[in-house]
Amino acid sequence: MKMKTSGPVRVPSRSSSDREDEAASHGIWSGTISFSLVAIPVQLVKAVEPGHVSFRMLHRKDYSPLQRRMFCPEEEKMVPPDEIVRGYEIGPDKYILITDEELESVTPERSRTIEIVEFIDAKEVDPIYYDHPYYLVPSKGGEKAYRLLVEVMHRTDKAGLAKFVLGEREYLVAVKSTDGALALITLHYHEEILPGEEISPKEVETGADEKSHIKKSIKNMIADFDPEKYADKRRKKIMDILKKKAKEKAPVEAPEVEEEEGAGPADLVTALKESMRKVKKKR
Amino acid sequence: MSRKIVDLGGKRLSLSNLEKDLYPSYGFTKAHILEYYRLISKFILPHLKDRPVTLTRYPEGVEKGFFFEKRCPSHRPGWAKTTEVRGDKGERRTACLVNDLETLMWVENLAALELHVPLARAGTPETPDSMVFDLDPGYPANILDCAQVALILRDLLSRLKLTGCVKTSGKKGLHVFVPLNRKGTTFEETKQFSKAVAEIMQKNYSDLVTSKMAKENRRAKVFINWSQNDASKTMVCVYSLRAQEKPTVSFPLAWKELEKLAAQKDPEKLLVMHSEAVRRAEKEGDLFQEVLKKKQKLPHL
Repeated sequence: MKMKTSGPVRVPSRSSSDREDEAASHGIWSGTISFSLVAIPVQLVKAVEPGHVSFRMLHRKDYSPLQRRMFCPEEEKMVPPDEIVRGYEIGPDKYILITDEELESVTPERSRTIEIVEFIDAKEVDPIYYDHPYYLVPSKGGEKAYRLLVEVMHRTDKAGLAKFVLGEREYLVAVKSTDGALALITLHYHEEILPGEEISPKEVETGADEKSHIKKSIKNMIADFDPEKYADKRRKKIMDILKKKAKEKAPVEAPEVEEEEGAGPADLVTALKESMRKVKKKR
Repeated sequence: MSRKIVDLGGKRLSLSNLEKDLYPSYGFTKAHILEYYRLISKFILPHLKDRPVTLTRYPEGVEKGFFFEKRCPSHRPGWAKTTEVRGDKGERRTACLVNDLETLMWVENLAALELHVPLARAGTPETPDSMVFDLDPGYPANILDCAQVALILRDLLSRLKLTGCVKTSGKKGLHVFVPLNRKGTTFEETKQFSKAVAEIMQKNYSDLVTSKMAKENRRAKVFINWSQNDASKTMVCVYSLRAQEKPTVSFPLAWKELEKLAAQKDPEKLLVMHSEAVRRAEKEGDLFQEVLKKKQKLPHL
């Protein structure tokens, strides 16, 4: 990996839809990253777009996009949002109710700064702790300090640890340099990590030749990490099918949500009479 | 989905799917339903006024499922009036008050074909302003048998110096309302009184009447449902449409009219359709007006 120390800061980009561009320009969060006497204005943007191809569920008969609703199997009917409460399941059919207010009371306040409290060796963080990656993008006026921080963190291979509230949760995050930019990775809390010790089998006697055999095998397969070599084949195949279909046939269209033409709203009586007349004609 | 924005007294209302046929075997769309309620509004609104309304919604029409909405939907327009109601188990809910044409049009746009209201107003939920006898025929008894029972009931009530008003349920039965409109009346009183009356009726007309809820007692008889006299119960509002095959209406009848119809022995004539309801209300005025105005005191039994 090469380090860029001059020129504009590279904000990793990928071919993206308008919505992503919007997210990138507005950011998920904006504030400052700080430690000691340094404060750099930054924006948080997403670093990955999961490759999962998602589909909308449509009504077969007219391709209207469908909505998810909460259904009560007991009464066999849809339950409106104002009749829905949260319950924590403590046993079969037993729940403890919790209100929005109670949840709100424990929700931490939004962070204004990402305050780095410690710098650690980046290698020390077991990737098993990695939760979700983001990029930090310098805001206006912060470019120089940002570049400096990227450079130093890269050279020393250090990561900054900070507590940071994103959405409704407070995360432990690691800030590290990556490819000329700063990445912010939310980390799992220690209690979320399932124990791995039991997986490792009991120690058994191993011969030196067995060890050297494995060593040799690995050595023969050593390569540089080149993620571009690997691709999500299923995603590619699905996209190929979609591209082919798009060429062959026009897409189906959901019925338009008609707003009545004309400038102002109609008069009730006229609107009703017109609708009734329309139906009569059809019959 | 088609939408139409209309302006009603300066309030904007978004009407959806006006052409959707909600009474498919008859042919009556949401536009027809709104038009019915618009035309009947001056008669129904005084009876809905200040009562927490239970919306009986048929979004897919009368042949498909419905649901009761006791809560006022949270997506209501800002100008829709609501009231806080306490349920039987003490739970609070926000209910709609349909006090004006705009709100009536809004709830009808939600396909709330039937409007059900309690016997008490929102401000005084424990004070019934009328006592009701819900006459429900058990097959093969029909609405003509209900008419017989209603006429006997009228005479019995008049001996107790009480005046009742009768309306069709719009389905198979009849509802007799006894206006009270007095402060301090309790559901306890109206329930006890109506139960006693129902039991007397059962004793004297045991072939025709039952006061017992159990299904097996109701066969071929008219069940006088006195238990509707309860703060937690609602009755279909007078002039409300009913979700039947055809758009019938819960409609008030003059006692003379009921006598005449009972004599004609044609149960169909006791079903009042939407158009007839509008025509008759315009001509005869609100025959249920006394229910809102007449002050009566229940005698000691």
